[in-house]
Amino acid sequence: MKKVIVAMAVLCFGVASAQEVTNDSIKPISIDSLQQAINMHQLKFDALNEQLSPLQEEVDRMSKLKISGYMQVQYEMYNYQDVPTATGPLQLKPGTAETNVPLTTNPTDVTNSFVIRRARVKFTYKPIEGVAFVLQPNFSFSAVTLKDAYVQLNDPWLNTFQLWVGQFNRPDYEVEFSSRDRIILERSRMTTILYPQERDLGAKFVVDFVNKYEIPLKIDFAAFNGNFGEGPIANQVSDVDSDKDIVVRATYSLKFPNAGLGIDFGGNGYFGKNTVFAAGTYSDINNNPFTAAVGDKLDKHWIGAELQLYYDVLGGFALKSQFNKGVISGTSGAAIINNNPSFNFSGEREFIGYYVTLEKNFGSKYQAAVRYDSWDPNARLSGDAVTVAPDLRVHTWSFAFDYFFNNYTKIALGYSMPINETSSTVGGIYNSDVKNNTTTLRFQVSF
Amino acid sequence: MNTTKFKIATLLVVVMTIGFSFTTINKVTVKGSDTMVILSQKWAEVYMKKNPGTSIQVTGGGSGVGLAALINGSTDIANSSRPIKPSEVEKLKARYGSLGVEIPCAKDGLSVYLNKANPVTALTLKQIGQIFAGKITNWKEVGGADAPIKLYGRESSSGTFGFFKDNVVKTDFAPTCQTLPGTAAIVNAVKKDKNSIGYGGAAYAEGVKDCGVKKDDKSPAILPTAATIKNKTYPITRYLYMYLKSRPTGETKEFIDWILSPAGQGLIEEVGYYPLK
Repeated sequence: MKKVIVAMAVLCFGVASAQEVTNDSIKPISIDSLQQAINMHQLKFDALNEQLSPLQEEVDRMSKLKISGYMQVQYEMYNYQDVPTATGPLQLKPGTAETNVPLTTNPTDVTNSFVIRRARVKFTYKPIEGVAFVLQPNFSFSAVTLKDAYVQLNDPWLNTFQLWVGQFNRPDYEVEFSSRDRIILERSRMTTILYPQERDLGAKFVVDFVNKYEIPLKIDFAAFNGNFGEGPIANQVSDVDSDKDIVVRATYSLKFPNAGLGIDFGGNGYFGKNTVFAAGTYSDINNNPFTAAVGDKLDKHWIGAELQLYYDVLGGFALKSQFNKGVISGTSGAAIINNNPSFNFSGEREFIGYYVTLEKNFGSKYQAAVRYDSWDPNARLSGDAVTVAPDLRVHTWSFAFDYFFNNYTKIALGYSMPINETSSTVGGIYNSDVKNNTTTLRFQVSF
Repeated sequence: MNTTKFKIATLLVVVMTIGFSFTTINKVTVKGSDTMVILSQKWAEVYMKKNPGTSIQVTGGGSGVGLAALINGSTDIANSSRPIKPSEVEKLKARYGSLGVEIPCAKDGLSVYLNKANPVTALTLKQIGQIFAGKITNWKEVGGADAPIKLYGRESSSGTFGFFKDNVVKTDFAPTCQTLPGTAAIVNAVKKDKNSIGYGGAAYAEGVKDCGVKKDDKSPAILPTAATIKNKTYPITRYLYMYLKSRPTGETKEFIDWILSPAGQGLIEEVGYYPLK
């Protein structure tokens, strides 16, 4: 047995010895060659760094410029085209007995159309923290117009104050709420009439206590030329009467996280004047005629309140409402410098306007909304006491259903149903409700 | 059987079948804070093992990226190492008619990393702020060697960047502060450079030393330990959050409830953060 063990031990030793390498096949690396390789790699890294540094600078510069935008194309169906005209707020079905306002530009009946509603690209350049330059052109088939062009400065010390100078939205909830996010396809009649084209040229001072002091109070003070969106475009690029319109808006936000409830509320005031540029017979807020001379000042002022309520019940639910009451004024005639095309009337009127919107989200893909809005351009007259069509009140029901095809594409189906006040004194089609409802299928792409 | 009724019934069955076929795999997507990625992945991994048929997909990108994804609808849960900004809440209101739901899910301490060879061991909050703002540029100004301070920080989409800026720096970072993608990269850079300083999650401080932080000149220097972060004596502590568009339902709710339960909270310290209680 011992012999066997010894033999096995000898065999194992032999095998073990056979595995030893007497002459190592791996050549030893000298420190010098290693250092040389490191130096070579270091040189390569330095060269790469040299190439990357200017690229990094370029990237940093580019990252200060943000480009966003959206496009809305839509298909509309209607019995009557609802366009403001020189003699009334409605452009009616041409060539029929139902209309007293024949369409002069197109003698044939148009009941549906494809429309490019918006095509906008917004450039925001922030060269340093607290400074922003914004430029937003709108592209349409026939012209490129400038929607936004302003400089925004934020105070770097308290992070509370902002100064805006240039052309931008007037301070108002519905005006500042972008149409790319809106569920109901169009703004309320009140907003489009009080704030034509939404923007104006001027300066705005904003105090927002939320960032520094965590108080959810925001106050806007703004001074504008007051004639943007009125009259021929050439007359909108600067002021036409030196008088400035003053706008003030304050909002406060309440949060009840445990209930999933948030309430934003606020008030606003608009204080301005309209200069008369076409002498003639006007009517005052009591509906009495008077003679106005060029240079006379007409009242334009209103105060309002707003409320937005957000409630987390099986997904988001929002109730949004605004109310405005005051005096609006203007001069009829599209060629007049400060003619408001949606309030095409010579004189002053005491108006009341409001809307209530209910919005509901269903998951991430679907939204639905319904809105009731009311615009009474002459609160002192109603029914048969109204003698001209522009003084008739209009209530509008609007419905919309949105589907998000993906994060960037939204398909919206909307239905708008204006119901006008009737007056046998005005007569004609205004003896009953004008059938000027509109169905819209809109495709929106944003980036 | 009435043919019409049969057709309607068949149609209903087809619709329901298609509907249910989408609900057999319960997929929840989580995106956002890089600080929270490992923690979130750990939660997802353990939860999926316990709940076969559930899919939790976790990705990083930074708190800002996660919240942007929540706003544009491409994630169910946004992880964030900073509170949501008022401007982001406004976007949620505009898009979903909701204020969003904030769920604190863990606590974290932000360490200020120093190289082990650096003789400096403690700094006041003010000194740290001034160093990162570029007002203190040499270590000798804070009791160290006569050498320029090298700054390392995170990119602006990071919640850690936002939290450190708002609570410590309180102004713009110095332009010389080199931004690196992720806390691990900052730790690595500080490990190699004797004169450097960086910041990031307390859990990442491997191979570097934590700087003791004083609230002011008279306060003692506190190191970021489990005890000091939990009891908030360490001055740079923060919550880690999950954000949702609205109150959770279904699988998302079950996942979040589990995270907040002792089972989910028990995993937090394994990853280097601290439970809520």
